Amino acid sequence: MRSTRRECGEPVAEPLLQVRQLTAGFGAGPVLFEVDLDFYAGELVALIGANGAGKSTLLGVLSGLLPASSGSVHFAGRDLTNARPERVVAAGLAHVPQGRRLFAGLSVERNLRLGAYVRRDREIGADLDKVLDYFPALKDKLQRSAGTLSGGEQQMVAIGRGLMARPKLLMIDEPSLGLAPKVVDRVIEVAQTINRDGTSILLVEQDVLVALEAADRGYVLENGRVALSGTATELESNPEIRKAYLGI
Amino acid sequence: MTLLVQQLVLGLLIGGVYVAVAIGFSLVWGVLNIVNLAHGGLVIIGAYLTWLLFSAFNVDPFLSIPIVAAALFVIGYVVQRLLINRVIRAPIFFTLLLTFGVNLVIINVLLLLFKSDFRSVTPSYSGSGLSLGGVQLPYIRVAGLAVALLLAGAVALFLARSRIGGAIQAVGADRDAAQLVGVDLRHVYALTFGIGAACAGVAGGLISTAQAITPSAGEPYTLQAFVVVILGGLGRVSATVVGGLLFGVVETLAQTMVPGLGAGWANAIAFAILVVVLAVRPRGLMGRPV
Ligand SMILES: Nc1ncnc2c1ncn2[C@@H]1O[C@H](COP(=O)(O)OP(=O)(O)OP(=O)(O)O)[C@@H](O)[C@H]1O
Ligand SMILES: [Mg+2]
Repeated sequence: MRSTRRECGEPVAEPLLQVRQLTAGFGAGPVLFEVDLDFYAGELVALIGANGAGKSTLLGVLSGLLPASSGSVHFAGRDLTNARPERVVAAGLAHVPQGRRLFAGLSVERNLRLGAYVRRDREIGADLDKVLDYFPALKDKLQRSAGTLSGGEQQMVAIGRGLMARPKLLMIDEPSLGLAPKVVDRVIEVAQTINRDGTSILLVEQDVLVALEAADRGYVLENGRVALSGTATELESNPEIRKAYLGI
Repeated sequence: MTLLVQQLVLGLLIGGVYVAVAIGFSLVWGVLNIVNLAHGGLVIIGAYLTWLLFSAFNVDPFLSIPIVAAALFVIGYVVQRLLINRVIRAPIFFTLLLTFGVNLVIINVLLLLFKSDFRSVTPSYSGSGLSLGGVQLPYIRVAGLAVALLLAGAVALFLARSRIGGAIQAVGADRDAAQLVGVDLRHVYALTFGIGAACAGVAGGLISTAQAITPSAGEPYTLQAFVVVILGGLGRVSATVVGGLLFGVVETLAQTMVPGLGAGWANAIAFAILVVVLAVRPRGLMGRPV
């Protein structure tokens, strides 16, 4: 196994997720250009960038919803380049999409259990309890139709549904979208707790401050290219970032 | 008075057939967003299979229902997997065109196999019934309603309780999100269409006991299924049950009260109901707000 060096200097194993020269787009031409990304087990990494930078497109390609035109995606020792979504999630890479995308007419419990659709083990019930420990507010709303919940609660269900796949890496796309600052803090806190409990997290955010405060490392996407990457502290003190995203 | 009650009861009984016809149509429409113009063709395949089993092996039409349903499930699964899946992401016009074509193929194959002769399934009890306080209850119709309600209950239970039922509803609610939890769209599309076809097969079995069948006899049922779904509302089995029964009652009452509105007017009545519902309550009696 090839060994790489991490910022702190200790040798680590092969990255959990390795993206190389990934190019992808829609009919009108590429939206992502030769994106490289390394993600190590246990990390909480922020992916930041302006509106339309290509963050959601990148997640869509990683989870198999969108095709890559060139480049490669390796995850947990497997080549997942242009793999079908069901293979990706079964391999342990789960995606909580932007805008929650819950199954609106179905109950909260059904939504959560559908998150475990690819699993055949007997611990699904136990994992449901774990999700409810992360999000106790959902406990007495299990039978409610998911579409009737508040935005914050819907985001919790969306993250919970992702967790129910028992992923090695959970990609969360803009969880703060449309939520009050207090609710955002709460959601990010839980994301950190989940990370500490052993699930790696790729957090996509437009709110750069929120993202960098929570993350170990970050990537900055600009017009479909990786413009910058580094530890969260480095990025926070980077003058370009401060000017472009923090308005300081 | 007895006449009115008789017509109401008869309408409900006939409505059972409409429930059975519309359940699969509604499921396919709601989940796959396909208005399946081959639905009537599938119904008639079910009717011919029932007739074959009855005339060749003397199988009671109600006993052959599971066999016919299984056969239609396989046909539906294969048609969706090999054919309709290819255009499922295209605008609805393409699926309309494709299912219209499938319907033509079905009719022509049936013509080749069975000619355009009238066929009917007439078990020993077909003319009889029981009389309750002056109201006639033909056995065939009572059993038909019972089968339709059982079918509706089974489909509703399957959707609400089973793992695949959850996947089907997830696909209906949000295709991308369903893929993200690991649902294989191609398979679930095909399963859904297969279940829709199986329901059509059950309906065809019921219809074979109630009327003479020809290769093109399914044609009005596509329109009627469409109207039942509009009437009840899309997206719920219970809405289809209410829509189907009400459709049966309205049609029967219209035919009693307006002299000359015989069987030849079935399409006109369906169309009139359609126009009224669309004008008064476009999302149907029990449909979810759009
Ligand atoms: N379905 C689509 N068809 C065509 N172009 C698309 C589609 N979805 C996104 N795009 C385009 O791709 C580019 C990247 O969009 P993407 O949604 O990945 O950005 P983003 O970084 O996630 O932005 P946001 O922060 O607004 O979510 C944009 O220019 C967008 O217009
Ligand atoms: Mg986005």
